[in-house]
This record gives sequence, C-alpha cells and structure tokens, in this order.
Amino acid sequence: MAIESPHVTADVVEASEFPDLAQRYRLYAVPKTVVNDKVQVEGGMREPQLLQLVLAAVGGDEQSES
Amino acid sequence: MPLISQDDAETLRTIFDERMQDDVTITYFTQRESPLFIPGATECQTCGQTRELLQEVADLSEKISLDVKDFVADSADAEEMGIERIPAFVLQGHTQGAVRFFGIPAGYEFATLVEDLVDVSTGATDLSTKTRDALGEIDEDIHIQVFVTPT
Repeated sequence: MAIESPHVTADVVEASEFPDLAQRYRLYAVPKTVVNDKVQVEGGMREPQLLQLVLAAVGGDEQSES
Repeated sequence: MPLISQDDAETLRTIFDERMQDDVTITYFTQRESPLFIPGATECQTCGQTRELLQEVADLSEKISLDVKDFVADSADAEEMGIERIPAFVLQGHTQGAVRFFGIPAGYEFATLVEDLVDVSTGATDLSTKTRDALGEIDEDIHIQVFVTPT
C-alpha cells in the first residue's frame, strides 16, 4: 500500500527489540497490525481485511478485533 | 562468518536477478559502533548485526545499495524520515509512501524484506483495483504498523 500511495507509511516492527512498544500496543500475540494508532487486528490478514482496517482508521471509528 | 548461508545467498541472488528492475537503496540508521563504553548512552543490541545482514543482502545484487547513516550525526535525515528508534531502515526506490523496517529483519521479516525490495524496485504491486481505488480516495496520512517477532 505504501508503494501505491504517498499517504501511506508502512512499518514492519520486530517487537522483541522494542519492549516499550510491546507494552504500549499490548503485543500478546503477533503478528498484530495497528493503523493510525486507532484500529488493530491480531493475526495475519489478507488484502481486503487490511483495506477495511485502513478505511476504519481514516473513518475515525475505534475498532479492534482478534 | 556470514549471516546468510551460501545456499540461501544463491537463491536470493537468483530472485533478485530475475525479479528486480530498478535500483533500490536501503537507508539504514544505526549508531556508531564503538568499543568504548559511554556512560549514559543506550546501546543498540542488534545494530551491528543488522548492518552486517543488510550489507550481505546488498552484496547479492548490483541493484541494491546500502546507505548507512548515524542516528545521532545524521539526525536531520532521521527526523525527515520519522525515524525515532534504531536499528531502522527505509527502502528507497519506486515507492510513493514510506516502507520502513525496525529491528533486525530476522525470520518472517526477512522474507518480507526480500519481497519488498523486489516490489520497490519495480513499483508494481499485487493490490486489487478496489484497493487501489480506495487508496486513491484517501488524502490523509495512514500509518500502518505490523508487529512481528522472529520465528
């Protein structure tokens, strides 16, 4: 998505090296995807699901599911 | 002793030869490695090894180059790219937004790095038309963070 859009920053974060982030985002299970610090999903995801997450984030809705 | 085995190196060389198109630069933020103990300075445990790994990756293709920056000395660059923690590296090439990695790219993260290097070199993605259209409609910043651990 970052390749496609200038508005997207896509980070891959190796959680065990940054324990403060693990705590902040409550990383009990990985992978975990967080968008705009607003919405998050645990587990792997496919493109349609990620798109939904992104749309939820910019829509201003609070959403989290595992 | 290399971090990437000879067999894996050969496989990667082939992948890069067959699939990479244009040049990609890996801009890597690290701290100056020093044998001196500096009181109060936070040591970056994996910075040295990450640098080594990224150099080995860059050596596998003429189209990949590694640009090493010091997090402190090159703080302006770090700030421009929004880098607040290290080790961190950014892929520069055919990407409109930012593709960034934090921490040593081990396990699953390494496979992601390889795929991303190829994608950034071509600018092509497998995204559906629906996703492309939806992204085109969004004009606010989107920060996606995927947290992983080495497996």
